[in-house]
Order: sequence, then structure tokens, then C-alpha cells
Amino acid sequence: MKLRTYALPAVALLGMVAAVHTVRTSDRHLAAAPPIAPPSPSPFERQIAGAGIVEARSENVAVAAPSSGVIVGVSVTEGQKVQRGDLLLRLDSRSLEAELLQRRAELESARSELARLRAQPRAEDLPPAQARVDASRVAVEDAQARLALAEAVTDRRAISTEELSRRTFAVKSAQAELATAEAELAKLRAGAWASDLAVAEARIAVSKAACERIEIEIDRLSVKAPIDGTCLQVSARVGEFAMSGSTTPLVLLGDLSRLHVRIDIDESDAWRFRPGSAARGFLRGNSELATELEFVRVDPYVMPKRSLTGDTLERIDTRVLQVIYSFSADAIPVYVGQQMDVFVDSPSGRGKQ
Amino acid sequence: MIRIALRMLVGDRLKYLGLVAGLAFATLLITQQGSIFAGFTRRSGSWIRDTAQADLWIMDPQVEFTEDRKAMLDSALLKVRGVEGIEWAVPLYKSYVQARLQDGTRVVVRMIGLDDATLTGGPPIMEEGSLELLKQDRAILVDARDVDDGLRLRRGMDDEGPRELRVGDRIDLNEHETVVVGTFRRTREFFWDPVVYTTYTRALRMAPPERKSLGYVLARVKSGHDPREVARRVEETTRLRADTSEDYENRSMDFILAKTGILPNFGITIALGFVIGVLISGQLLYNFILENQRAFAAMKAMGASNMLLLRMVFAQVLFAAFIGFGIGVGVTAVVGLLLHDSKLAFHMAWQVPVFGGIAILVCCLIAAAISIRRVMRLEPAVVFKG
Repeated sequence: MKLRTYALPAVALLGMVAAVHTVRTSDRHLAAAPPIAPPSPSPFERQIAGAGIVEARSENVAVAAPSSGVIVGVSVTEGQKVQRGDLLLRLDSRSLEAELLQRRAELESARSELARLRAQPRAEDLPPAQARVDASRVAVEDAQARLALAEAVTDRRAISTEELSRRTFAVKSAQAELATAEAELAKLRAGAWASDLAVAEARIAVSKAACERIEIEIDRLSVKAPIDGTCLQVSARVGEFAMSGSTTPLVLLGDLSRLHVRIDIDESDAWRFRPGSAARGFLRGNSELATELEFVRVDPYVMPKRSLTGDTLERIDTRVLQVIYSFSADAIPVYVGQQMDVFVDSPSGRGKQ
Repeated sequence: MIRIALRMLVGDRLKYLGLVAGLAFATLLITQQGSIFAGFTRRSGSWIRDTAQADLWIMDPQVEFTEDRKAMLDSALLKVRGVEGIEWAVPLYKSYVQARLQDGTRVVVRMIGLDDATLTGGPPIMEEGSLELLKQDRAILVDARDVDDGLRLRRGMDDEGPRELRVGDRIDLNEHETVVVGTFRRTREFFWDPVVYTTYTRALRMAPPERKSLGYVLARVKSGHDPREVARRVEETTRLRADTSEDYENRSMDFILAKTGILPNFGITIALGFVIGVLISGQLLYNFILENQRAFAAMKAMGASNMLLLRMVFAQVLFAAFIGFGIGVGVTAVVGLLLHDSKLAFHMAWQVPVFGGIAILVCCLIAAAISIRRVMRLEPAVVFKG
């Protein structure tokens, strides 16, 4: 009887204890997993957040091909330091070299033409001409002698008037011949005409200019470093075809003596930015690696934001003010092209300057 | 006299057991259904509680609940970072994507993308592998519960039959190949589609192209700042919504309650339990009092006041209610313990036994009110009636 009396109340009590237990345990939930690296915390009381991309002090110089052609030599490797004017790579110049040969031959031909003109009169041409003069002179003397004979005849009947006049003309004709022969000899002796020489000289100048042009064009195919710096990227390989005007640079050069970080500040935050504000950059993935940034300049044009998602589809959703800060390359282990989380101090929270 | 009353009750074993059983059943119905209801509503916020690394959730103002994707402009992240009182802010991606398993099984999964650098917002417990493995190329993490359920290779490959998904298996998400590098464990959720975690940029690359891509910004508030105050400031400067985890959980829960009709469904069952309780206990109590009216009449004849009789009846009712409630709530609790972490959403919030107890009390009081008139109007002469 006793047992039966207390059995149910005991069961009821047990039930309530079970309920209390269930209530207490049923509220358990799993603790949140900690991030593998703490996100970069803001170091300022009021701040502007920006996404920064590291670039060389010179900005990144994308060296391009001056004209399209096959790459025949690459003389730099990634990371190599180069001086201004150092050879970076050479493009195939054989067709231009072939043309140069032709142009040089033409120059040679023009030169020999001038030499030919200068060498006039030809020595062998003079004796015949001289001989012709001599012969003409003899002919004149002969004609004069004949005329003298005829004139010496006193008897006008012994010689006809016609004969006399014929002999007179023969003398004149012989004299004219002599004059011709002498003139030709003189012309021969005088050599080439000055104007002809000038034309020949001009032709040499044209050929020379053509050669020089091709030499310059060949020289252009040797791409040289435009600045002192480090090769950040070499995408040229021997045997590849380099397109002029291609968007991928053959060699990316940069001056790494000091690094710049180009910070995108949202246009809606741009009014809060004051040039010269303190800024701190955090390396993504390890917020302990941070460095103070030094203000360099503001690019005063607010441009469409370039999305850094790496998607081929363009996602322009806003415009950004680009601000450039610099930091020492030794401060943190960072590479050109890397992204940084940047916080810029914004002294006045709200309102006018 | 109370002792006598209780002895009267316990003495009539049939009615006593009947009364207790009825009340216990009503309690069971009310608390069981109440717990499952509480479980469902609570599970709607599981993901938010699991992702407790941040204080604030920043999202499009039209987002209704956790599975709702209304993306924001990418620049929102930087704007949030610039708000006074924000310690840090990271992006978070969440969206449904089509998945194809190695054997050709097609499922819809929920893809969550974590900030690449920090992997903030990851699943609570890793079972196989580690969160860092997500940094590997094409890596994803899957739910340890899904590998033999939602992500089971149901069709089987040529050389083997159906099997569970294993670490190292490949899954095509939206026609992009990914590799399972680990499994995690998380709190069960209201929604059923398998969940995979990957990095933010990878998620963007795999997701269908959208002009706006940013789903959520998770932000931590600097110590010394009031999260709600910072949230208000974020809303003011970004024109987005900033909720504390708690607010977002409630918002999500309210939306699901409003949309699914869970509340009326469970409400009807709970009301039914209440009605059954009232009917059974009222009926049995009334019968009990009717049968014992001679005893009450004798007591009245001996000079017991109405007040005393009233107290006796109440003692009997409350005793029965106590035992019935205790047994009912106990059964619910044990079932709950047994079903812990199963598919059945069971969550015995403290409100459930409290309101269950109040309901049982009310139903006993109604039952007592019906019967009490009988005792009050009792003529002592009834003792002598046949």
C-alpha cells in the first residue's frame, strides 16, 4: 500500500528531474570555429578602409614589342636587376637584314657610279681624240696649201673661179672640223659634268639613308630596358610570336627600391580622405604583418573600380579614388601585385572640413 | 483533511490512474509538440549560431531569412570596414548551386564561401581534415552527416555500387570541378540541402555570374562599443541592414514561422492536447466526485465548511495534476534525450515545461470548476439517501 501510494509521485518527481535535465542540456550549441588567421583589425578610431595593391615605385612598366615578330633571344630572367639600356630580348630581324644587304649593294652601286663619273676622262679616250685633232689640223694645212697653190697662179685662165672658191671652202670646212675635234677633245678633257656628279652624290645619300633606316629598324627589334629596375615578369619565350599592341607585356619591369601601394577608396568615402593621413597596411592572411604607410600622392581622377576577383566578367559597381602610399620593401615580406588591407585614418568623422 | 482527500483519491485506483494517465497524456502531447515546435524554430537559426565568429551580419535590407540571397555591391565590404566601431569585416558568400557527384547523382547544395585570407565563418567542428585545407586548389568541405545522406553516391559507379561520399572524391559544382578535402560537423538545421564550404573567390568563380556578388558581410565590433549602436551606424552609412546575430536569428525565425504555417500546425496539436486534458480530467473528476458525494455529504454533515471541501477538491486536483504533469513531462524529456541530434527537431526550451505546466493547471482548474459546484450545492442529507 505504501509503495503504491508513493510510486506514482516518485515517478512524477523523476519525470520532472528528467525534464529539468533535458531543458538544461538541450540548449547546447557548438562553439564557433576560430578563423585560421584573425582578420586585419582597424588601428584607428575612425578609419577609411581600402583595398590596396602593391606596385613598384616606378609603377609597373609593361615593356611591349615595337613590332610583331618571332622572339629569337631573351636575355633576362625573372627577378634579374637591369640597368637602363640593357638588352631584354630580340625579335627576328632576318627579313630586315636581307633588305639591308640589298640596300647596301645599291649604296655600293651608287658610289661606283660616282667614282666612274669622277674618273672621267677615260685615259684611253684621249689619244684618239687627240689624233682626230691632229688629223684635222693636217687636213686644214693640206687645204690651206692647196688654196695657196691656187692663189699663186697669176693667170686667171689657168684656174677656174669655181676651183678657187672650192679650195677656199675646203679650207673653211677643214678648219671647222678641227674646231669640232678640238672641242670634243676639250670636252673629254673636262671630265664628268658637275650636275651629273651632284645627281650621283644625291643618289648615294638616298641609299645611305635607306641603309641607316633599316639598321635603326633592326636595332628597334632589340628591346632594351627603359628604366633601372627588376624584371617582375618575363613572359617572352624564344620562338614565340610577339604581337605589337598585345595587352600581355613581354617583360614587366619595376623599380623595387621602395614599394608603392595603390589604394582604392570608395567614392562615397572619398570625401573623408585627407591627403597626408596616416595609414596602415595589413598583409592578407596574417594581420600581424603590418606596416606604416607614407603618403605619396592622390590620383585626382576617380575611376571605375577594377574588380580583383579574377573573373573574366567585368564587375564595375562603383568608382574609386586611387591614393598612393609608399613603404619600405624590407618592412614586410610582400611582392608586387599582392593585395593588402589598408586602413587610412580619418580624423574628422563627419561634416565639413 | 487534505490527507483524507488525497487518500480518497488514491483509494479509488481506477479513477486515480485514469485521471493521472489522462493528464500525463495531455502533458505529453503539449510538451512533446511544444518541444518539436521549439526545435524547428530554433533550427532555423542554427547556421547563424554556428557562425558566431562575428557580432554583426550586414546584408541587403530585403533579405528575409538565412537562405535568401539578395546580394550587395562588392564595395559594401569596404564601406562597412570604414564605419566607426568596426574592428574587422569579412565577406561571406551563400547560395544554392547545382552539384553533380562523380557517379552522376545530381543534387542541389548550399555553397558557403569564406573570406580567402582568414576563412572566417567556418563550420564549428572539423571531423576529417582541417579548415586550412580549404586553401588548397579546388578544395571544398562537406557535412559529415551529408556524406551518406544528401551527398551519397546513389547511382553508383561502373565498378562499384552506391556508396557514401569520401574525402578525396570530386564534386562538380555548377560544372566546376572541386575536391572534397574534409568533413565537418554542425548543428542540425531546419533546411535540408547539403552544405559545402569553400573560399569566397572560389565560390564566386563557380557561382553563376551576377553583377552583385556579396551576400553577407560579417563584422566584429570593437570592444567598448555597443553592437546595436554600431549596427545602427552601419545602417546609416551603408544603407544596408546590420543585424546582431540574435536579431538576424529572430528575423529568420519569424519569417519561416510566417511562411510555413508551422505555428498553426503545432498550435492545433497543442490545443488538442489541452482539450483532451480538459475533457478527460473533467469527466473523471466529475465522476469521482459524483461517486464520493456521500463522503463529502457526511463531512458536511459533520460540520465541514464549503471552504474546506473546496480545498479538499483542489488538493485532489492539484495532486493529480502534479503526478500527471510529472509523468508526461518526464516521458517527453526521456524521448527528447533519446532523440537528441536526430533528424527530429527536438528542443525542450525552458518555456515548454513551464507553459505545459500552466496549461495542465488551467485544464485541471477548469475540470475542478465543473465538479466543484456539485460539492458546494451538496445537501448533507444525501448521506441518508439510498
